Amino acid sequence: MSQSTGQFGATSLKSSPLKSPRISPAFFAWLLVAPALLFILVIVAWPLLETFRLSFTNARLGGESYVGLENYEKLLEKRKFHQTIYRTFYWMFLSVSLKLILGLIGASLLNAAVPGKALFRVLVMPPWVIPIAIGCIGWLWLYNGYFGILSGTAQWLGLIDGPFEFLAHKKSAFYSAVVTDVWVGTPMVTLFFLAAMQGVSRDLYEAAWVDGAGRWYRFRRITIPQIMPVIVSMMLLSAIWTFNSFEVIWILTEGGPRSASTTLIIDTYKTAIGNYKFGEGAARAVIIVILLSIFSLIYLFFLNKVNKIYGSK
Amino acid sequence: MATLDIKNLAKSFGSVDVLHDINLSIADKEFVVFVGPSGCGKSTLLRIIAGLEEVTSGDILIEGQNVNTHAPVERGISMVFQSYALYPHLSVFENIAFPLRVQKLSNSDVKARVGRAASILQLQDKLSLKPGQLSGGQRQRVAIGRSIVRNPKIFLFDEPLSNLDAALRGDMRVELSQLHRELNATMVYVTHDQVEAMTMADRIVVLNAGMVEQFGTPMELYHRPETKFVAGFIGQPNMNFLTAKVTAASAQEVRVDLDGAITLALPLAGDTVQVGDPVDVGIRPEDLRIVEDGGFEMHVDVIERLGGVCIVYGRIGANETRYCASLAGDARVTEGSMIKLASDPANFHAFDRAGRALHRLNVSFETE
Repeated sequence: MSQSTGQFGATSLKSSPLKSPRISPAFFAWLLVAPALLFILVIVAWPLLETFRLSFTNARLGGESYVGLENYEKLLEKRKFHQTIYRTFYWMFLSVSLKLILGLIGASLLNAAVPGKALFRVLVMPPWVIPIAIGCIGWLWLYNGYFGILSGTAQWLGLIDGPFEFLAHKKSAFYSAVVTDVWVGTPMVTLFFLAAMQGVSRDLYEAAWVDGAGRWYRFRRITIPQIMPVIVSMMLLSAIWTFNSFEVIWILTEGGPRSASTTLIIDTYKTAIGNYKFGEGAARAVIIVILLSIFSLIYLFFLNKVNKIYGSK
Repeated sequence: MATLDIKNLAKSFGSVDVLHDINLSIADKEFVVFVGPSGCGKSTLLRIIAGLEEVTSGDILIEGQNVNTHAPVERGISMVFQSYALYPHLSVFENIAFPLRVQKLSNSDVKARVGRAASILQLQDKLSLKPGQLSGGQRQRVAIGRSIVRNPKIFLFDEPLSNLDAALRGDMRVELSQLHRELNATMVYVTHDQVEAMTMADRIVVLNAGMVEQFGTPMELYHRPETKFVAGFIGQPNMNFLTAKVTAASAQEVRVDLDGAITLALPLAGDTVQVGDPVDVGIRPEDLRIVEDGGFEMHVDVIERLGGVCIVYGRIGANETRYCASLAGDARVTEGSMIKLASDPANFHAFDRAGRALHRLNVSFETE
């Protein structure tokens, strides 16, 4: 730090904690980050550690005692839990894939030079803007067998004989939940893709056009590579959100019928909050953290590769 | 024979007329530069030739064939963009190969053609790099390489050097001129920089407010500008103008009165002006010299000494009109002083009220 000869400079240097013999610079640095650190400890680290601790207990409403790895052993032995893990990944894969595909199609359409595209861009927003609970209640009506429009239309078209309760059958309940989750999640993906597409220089498309590249070729060879980092980022974010998606399934099916739409997050909630088995619930939560961590690591590896291939250097 | 003819072309964006009644005929293997100030429509005209914009009316003919409705690729043109338009995720090789990949040529053909372009442009050792790892000049070469591999009938350049620094621009000007000689192709080049236009063009199209002011060789434009706009636009520093009144006019000579103080007898064809008509008399800064007696008096405001030449800015006449003189590098002038300037009458230009030039007599220059 340069010495100041001015009155103000001299005074401020004297009062600077860095110059005080009582506080070391390292301690001062810790002092500065302490509020943020405390915040992270209270909001993130402590709940995480507490969950981890609970997972080794049989904590219930009445009390708790240490049980070691018993909760994990029980879980890993349960066939039903294996099915839940498989279902969760299937749910994630299906929902994320659809969100990304529809998002890409939607963004491409919204990016096209069509009259009134500003209006279309606004019209994409509602599923994202409307509170999920309200949206899901709307979908509950749509899926209803007696007054729902889907069942009614299917009957009118002669596809089904009588009312069909979409949420009462194992397969249709699961796929109905996927459709609603896609409806909720697609607008955000679309808008992120649209923003990325608008960042691609128009000159690139014109140069390709002059060189004879058609629409599909330009989309494949320019648009996709240019927005690939955003696609990969959205893939991860969307995967984590979908993996942890709770409201949609809970409002539509509460994980049923007969656990057909129960994902890990629903299972954890049912165990810990529904059945007051905090210890077993915590073990499930820890497994979710481990699975998502592995997934994130794979993603980071993948993102690094993508940046190498599609980056500018 | 890659000729390009533009007939009665007009272009409007909504209610805004951008180009009016453009008529040009560009010969095979010619290097033609469109030059003009920002917003004059030169880039729009180039984009229309490329097929990136549609004409509002008129015709574009390449090799005599009307291509108004043809897609860019069907016109046999290639274009180099101001931003280079390189694909950042592709290597230099793949950037140059892009048009060939679109054509689905075999790998061996692609390799051969890219290799040939790379050797012309001295990019052989850069083929595996990404555009982000190249300098501005190298990127420009890659963009040119991408247009070379297609063997187009006509090359179009949209201000390709404007993103480069002054030194590199100079080098690239020379390289582009050499490239034109090597490829022996028709080239149309857009720039707002008159130095680029003068140094590279076989012929220059000066555009102003969507219209062609003049189409001619660089020397024609310099020595025989047809309008006051061309006279002021071509030449560095810009031509000086003074308002004068015609006192006598004949087919061989026009006499003008400047500020009521000086009378000049100029060797111009005066058949389009009459006695009493106001005219703008123009003289290029480099045609002025310091004299001891006679001439115009100029109050010197600023001196720019560039070594070989000395540019003197000042004011002359009762109206204190801004004037500029390009003198010898060691000219003895000081800021704040008064100097006297004169020139040979044959060096003067004159323009009527509408800005049209009075034909200069006894002017000879090399067109090549």
